[in-house]
Amino acid sequence: MEVLKIQHLSKTYGSGESRVEALKDVSFTVNQGEFVAVVGESGSGKSTLLNCIGALDTPTYGNIYIDGNELLSMKEEQRTIFRRRNIGFVFQSFQLVSELSVEQNIAFPILLDYRQPEREKVDEILEVLNLKERRHHLPSQLSGGQQQRVAIGRALITRPKLILADEPTGNLDSKNSRDVMDLLIRASRHYQQTILMITHNMSLAASADRVLRVSDGILTDLGGKVDEKLS
Amino acid sequence: MKSYLDLVPISSRLHRKQNRMSIFCIVLAVFLVTVIFGMADMFIRSQIMQARMEDGNWHVSFRNISEEQARLISARPEVEASSWYGVLNYSGEQGYSLQGKNLILCGSEESWITKMQTDMITEGAFPKKDNEALMSENAKTAMDLKIGDLVFVETPVGKFQITISGFLKNVSKTMEEDSYGVFLTTDGFRSIYQQTEKDDSTYFNSIYFVQFSNRCNINNTISDIKAQLGLSGNQVSENTKLLGLLGQSGNSFMLQIYGSAFILFLLVLMAGVMMIASSLNSNVAQRTEFFGMMRCIGATPKQVMRLVVKEAFGWCKFAIPAGVGAGVIVIWILCAMLRYLSPEYFIGMPAFAISFPSVISGICIGALTVFFAARSPAKKASRVSPLAAISGINNKLFHGKKAASTAFFKIDTALGIHHAKSSKGNFVLMVGSFSLSIILFLSFSVTIDFMNHALKPLKPWTPDISIVSPNNSCSISNNLLKDLEENPAVKKAYGRMFAYNVPIQLNGVDKTVDLISYEEHQFDWAKDYLLEGSLQRVQNEVNTGLSVFKQQGTPKVGDTVTFVENRSVDIEIVGTLSSSPFQNVLDVGTIICSENTFRQLTGNTDYTIIDLQLLKSATQKDVDLIHAAVGSEYIFSDERLGNRSVLGSYYSFGLFIYGFMTLIALITIFNIVNSIAMSVSARMKEYVAFRAIGLSNQQMKKMIVAEASTYAVVGGFWGSVLGLLFNKLLYEKMITFYWGEQWKIPFVDLGIILGIVIIAVMIAVNGPLKRIRKISIVDTMSAQ
Repeated sequence: MEVLKIQHLSKTYGSGESRVEALKDVSFTVNQGEFVAVVGESGSGKSTLLNCIGALDTPTYGNIYIDGNELLSMKEEQRTIFRRRNIGFVFQSFQLVSELSVEQNIAFPILLDYRQPEREKVDEILEVLNLKERRHHLPSQLSGGQQQRVAIGRALITRPKLILADEPTGNLDSKNSRDVMDLLIRASRHYQQTILMITHNMSLAASADRVLRVSDGILTDLGGKVDEKLS
Repeated sequence: MKSYLDLVPISSRLHRKQNRMSIFCIVLAVFLVTVIFGMADMFIRSQIMQARMEDGNWHVSFRNISEEQARLISARPEVEASSWYGVLNYSGEQGYSLQGKNLILCGSEESWITKMQTDMITEGAFPKKDNEALMSENAKTAMDLKIGDLVFVETPVGKFQITISGFLKNVSKTMEEDSYGVFLTTDGFRSIYQQTEKDDSTYFNSIYFVQFSNRCNINNTISDIKAQLGLSGNQVSENTKLLGLLGQSGNSFMLQIYGSAFILFLLVLMAGVMMIASSLNSNVAQRTEFFGMMRCIGATPKQVMRLVVKEAFGWCKFAIPAGVGAGVIVIWILCAMLRYLSPEYFIGMPAFAISFPSVISGICIGALTVFFAARSPAKKASRVSPLAAISGINNKLFHGKKAASTAFFKIDTALGIHHAKSSKGNFVLMVGSFSLSIILFLSFSVTIDFMNHALKPLKPWTPDISIVSPNNSCSISNNLLKDLEENPAVKKAYGRMFAYNVPIQLNGVDKTVDLISYEEHQFDWAKDYLLEGSLQRVQNEVNTGLSVFKQQGTPKVGDTVTFVENRSVDIEIVGTLSSSPFQNVLDVGTIICSENTFRQLTGNTDYTIIDLQLLKSATQKDVDLIHAAVGSEYIFSDERLGNRSVLGSYYSFGLFIYGFMTLIALITIFNIVNSIAMSVSARMKEYVAFRAIGLSNQQMKKMIVAEASTYAVVGGFWGSVLGLLFNKLLYEKMITFYWGEQWKIPFVDLGIILGIVIIAVMIAVNGPLKRIRKISIVDTMSAQ
């Protein structure tokens, strides 16, 4: 079942001589439960692609369907609400709410919907993320790895169909990186979620089901495991 | 680049937008100080001008002193001018007249007219001989007099011949009483006094007036004179108003006023300091990373501090001249308005005056505040750890101990409240600046009460000219009123008939009342004073009347008052007025009725008084023509001078006091808008990240409103509590002390300022919201 469908996506910055084509006619689909890694050089357009899919940026041309919903036809307010209910974000710099505890940060998207988070759900995620002991801590009282785990918890709480991760291990050491990746994969398998992850790290990309490569705004589907195709 | 401090102009160029708000805050604070002090300076100047014009430019007067004592006083080095001033027939009861008109005779030295009065002589010169005199302008117009003419003054012992040496401008007293004034030399006056009053008194009903040099300590000099000459307190009178305005009064009431002015001065200073401090604080908070990076590269904490202070002073280069300049322009506008509204008094106000105290205080307060206010954030900046700069994460995190409470409020509101309270220092500054605006408003609002107590306003019925029956009888012809109504210079003409001490019976009890007739205009003006009943009925139905409230007892609506003078007539009371323009003795009431009722009751058809309100365009010539038409049969009371004086005081007081209040209200709005904008700017990246996570625009709005409301509620509470305390303290100093009126909670003023705060908060959240919406999430996130 298709969770994400991208059709002829283009993104152009500037005009005239300073015109840059960050994405050129990108089209692909991702099925439910797939774990897709997006690789590419710095400035190749992979972050632009992720931002467009996450409705943080608007493409110049093309369509984005998430679970059958055309993202770009929605109004700003509608799109924001859709994003927090249907897309989980994991940022490189975590973007936790520094004034909220671990538990509150994880429940943040539900709180934004003015709903009471279900205690069992939060407990379950804290358990999976191994953060039960730290549920009342503030982000400033956590290590980088723990902060990223909280960010993953926040992305999982609404059980979104799609999780977008922009270099989620970029700020972490190798041990923490491996832990976070294991967690992300475990969680997505457990909840049958689709993951689209940007990474520079080829060994991390190797754990993905499928690899997409972006180069000069052009997307190439490398299919299977990265180590098979990229070597 | 020669020094690391050269980074300052480069950084200023890069952070132009960010710095704009801090610069704006400094401009605003300097503007506030300059305008308030400038307005106070100009207000005092205008009041001194009016006081000198109306009461004379003298500082102290001595009565019952000998010639020798006067000579000793005038010989003192502090004395700038001195003169005897004596008066005869001041109340018009001593029998002095000129061509049938009452005459007030004065005698003084030349310095009284030339140094202690303002522009008194309109033509000619002070008399050189004892048989010469200056005559009031109204006598010149009425009798077509010229310098050198001889006039004969009627006195109780016969006629005195006087040669006119010049003319004096009219004063409100002679114009209102329809009398003439004549000024003789002291010797000339005393010679007439001795002959007419048969009084051996050595004082000749004279007072010795003294003007001191402004450089001396007048209070000490007066005490010294009193001690040296052994004078009692009753013999010495200060010109309290003028000395008070010159800051030289030892009068206890003036000391209370000085105390109040000092409190207001401190409050304005605090407001200025607070505004600048909070803006610098927010500015530094926004750039912690940059300072961390500086530390990382190798800058010492001291160097970072120097950088912040230099940057703050860089803003002053523009902000202080801009604030002072804007303040000076506002003062020019106010002075121009004053000159336009009341040229008789304030034409002497300089059109482009520079108030040096205000400019100096604006510059000093701006520069000193920036210096001291920059030190605290500079210290904070210097303490930023280099590690924080490298990681780029930790420094953005909240380092408090408690998470935001989401138990009572929704997440957006809870976060807004938490943002407001998260930094104690910032919270105190913001609450302080909110509450200070309220305190300033409530403190300055006492000056409006002071104005209403100190000045009696002109009522809508105040006439420019009154034509009064000399013996208070109904003797002014109806036809005169008709003629005057048709005069092109007259806007309104209305007459009243009076019957004094009319015997009545009320509920079987004998009483007396003054019966007064009203016509259409006067009934219309009485509308605002109607406590109960109907003005329609009294105007349209004969034998009805209005009672005027009196504490000793007032006929009530529905009562029947029986007039028992000639024949018994019943009058039904159909309304009660709270007050009327007429005063009468304690046990005499007032009944107002229509002209028809009055005529039926008394049989009188003519008026006791006719009042005229003139068109603005009416000239002195028009008034002279009306005077000629009325003739000398009635008292022609020209009240325009007195009215202009009241208006002048009102304009100068009103303009400056309402100016202060408007300014404080505007500053409150600007300050709140700016504070919220800066507070939001400091968290801009965080807010953009919230949007990325899924916070909608509506929720963003709620969050900012919650933050602003937290400041407003806490600031409003403390501002109201402290503001009311200041209001009470100043009220007691300025009003209770002198007029005895007790303080009450000023609900209206409190409501107005809290309303302004609420409106300001509503305005304040919109700007930052628009900015957040415009900011690209992607750019902000990738900048991190």
